[in-house]
Amino acid sequence: MTDMNTEKLKTELLTLNMGPQHPATHGVLRVEIKTDSETIAEAIPHLGYLHRCKEKHSEYLDYRGIIPYTDRMDYLASMNMEHGYCLAIEKMLGTEVPRRAEYVRVIVAELQRIASHLMFFGTYAIDLGAFSPFLYAFQDREFILRIFEELSGARLLYNYIWIGGVWTDINDAQLKRIENFLEELEENVKKYHSLVGENSIFIGRTANVGVISEEMAYEYGATGPVLRGSGIDWDLRKKRPYSIYEEFDFDVITGKGLKGQVGDCWDRYHVRILEIFESIKIVRQCLEGIEEGPIMGKVPKVLKVPKGEIYMRTECPRGELGYHIVSDGGKTPYRVKVKSSCFTHVSMLPEMAPGQMIADFVASIGSIDIVLGEVDR
Amino acid sequence: MLNEIVTFLNNEVSGCNAVLNTAEVGDSSITIDAKHIKPACVALKNSSTFKMNVLQVISGVDYPETSEIEISYMLASFIENTEFILKIRVPRGDDSNLPSVESVCDVWKSANFLERETYDMLGVTFENHPDHRRILCGDDWKGYPLRKDYVVEKVYNGMVVDPEEKINKADIEFFAKMRLEHEDPTAVSGSWVDDHAWIDQDLSSKAKNRVAEVKAAKKAKAAEAAAQEKGSKDD
Repeated sequence: MTDMNTEKLKTELLTLNMGPQHPATHGVLRVEIKTDSETIAEAIPHLGYLHRCKEKHSEYLDYRGIIPYTDRMDYLASMNMEHGYCLAIEKMLGTEVPRRAEYVRVIVAELQRIASHLMFFGTYAIDLGAFSPFLYAFQDREFILRIFEELSGARLLYNYIWIGGVWTDINDAQLKRIENFLEELEENVKKYHSLVGENSIFIGRTANVGVISEEMAYEYGATGPVLRGSGIDWDLRKKRPYSIYEEFDFDVITGKGLKGQVGDCWDRYHVRILEIFESIKIVRQCLEGIEEGPIMGKVPKVLKVPKGEIYMRTECPRGELGYHIVSDGGKTPYRVKVKSSCFTHVSMLPEMAPGQMIADFVASIGSIDIVLGEVDR
Repeated sequence: MLNEIVTFLNNEVSGCNAVLNTAEVGDSSITIDAKHIKPACVALKNSSTFKMNVLQVISGVDYPETSEIEISYMLASFIENTEFILKIRVPRGDDSNLPSVESVCDVWKSANFLERETYDMLGVTFENHPDHRRILCGDDWKGYPLRKDYVVEKVYNGMVVDPEEKINKADIEFFAKMRLEHEDPTAVSGSWVDDHAWIDQDLSSKAKNRVAEVKAAKKAKAAEAAAQEKGSKDD
């Protein structure tokens, strides 16, 4: 009797759509999940909900006109996006950027990295069910946005770093305020980490979850904190220094598996938190060493980039950002290809998901810290 | 380093015909025969000297003049700290006859999404790809947007994608009509600027005149009231 019944009963996987509008997917990522009760059997990411044809647009704009578009890719790290693009064009043109501009660029890029990591800290805590860390993180992030607003007039999308230099100069009062802020921030982040990172519930939710092994990180071309979280000592600012990064003294943070395995969600969280301190170190050295002088190099009014191509990559808060720019010698680029780190990180999800609980999958998505504006471009 | 890779590839993969493109500006690259892309990638990854363990990005460029699509594989070794651009060129083909390249998904897993993007944007198919679909555009999208001869479709699923008139004129006309019909046109505010040449000039000038009239009338009324008040005070 019972045998007959069980023969008739059959089980099948339940298909569940997570997103495109879902608070845990950080934007408009849709993941099609096949679940066996709470356990995920298969996850298929569907991208393109925020595809805005940036690469196609770039073929119709002049070289300067593309900078605001790069802002809108990773809207949480606009300064870093601009920086990479301008470096690529400057390398093609052979422009020399004044020392003061380089310092200002590094200051804003590192402050942006701090702001982006604070954003990660806040949203990741929300993903895992804690709301108040978000408010703490935003309090500190607000200071950075205010400084950027004073410099560029905008809070998120700056168009501040220009080809050849930066738009406006930073003044001594602002530098002083940044210095004071860094001291405050250092104390705060230590506090936040002890509040969240050392919390046993947080550790329970993140340690040994979503492990990315060294092998897997290389296979998928992971970069940035995801790669370093897997214990690999790789930071472009050290390994292939651009701008003036070789002059600064800072450490590359790698995941050590302090709370579980190397490469789990907690490690990636910890790498980002410690990177805030390294960024603070770099900004402090900048504040000491900043020189007087012009902020704009010599760039022709009508920008024509000589024929050729370049692949330039920089270290952004979420990983390496690469610009492949092909020029045919005209006023507009022939092709701009953006290598987005988030795009490659999303491709890891199908391998990370099987066997995870749905709630752990949310923790995994949060820990790779994607911004859909950059994934879809 | 590039010269060594060229020699290595020519020795290791017979017939791949590796050529070094030295660039005066920007990055140099290596071009190989499109048929040998996979063996070349396997050789580079497994080689003990180069250890190209990361495929960073696949970037395609369309060249309609030579009727070719150039695909660049940005390879890097995170062990040796080196990187270079490996290129292949395939004939462009057309919608019914898309160019085809062997997939390198077995070599690096990151190729999965990157090849899908190249297919989506440039219409290059990849043989033996495990999940060969579009990625950024919808599954029902027609054409390959990053090809140079791509024409933006007028209508997609019933939605007008590329309207002839990019500005909603109806809104601006509505603003003008409101000012003509509303009992107090000075209270009508709009963010639309109505001094463009293509607006119905008659309508907009009428609206402007009415606003001016009403404003003047109000002003006169206020002045009169003030004078009266003054007069009453004098009494």
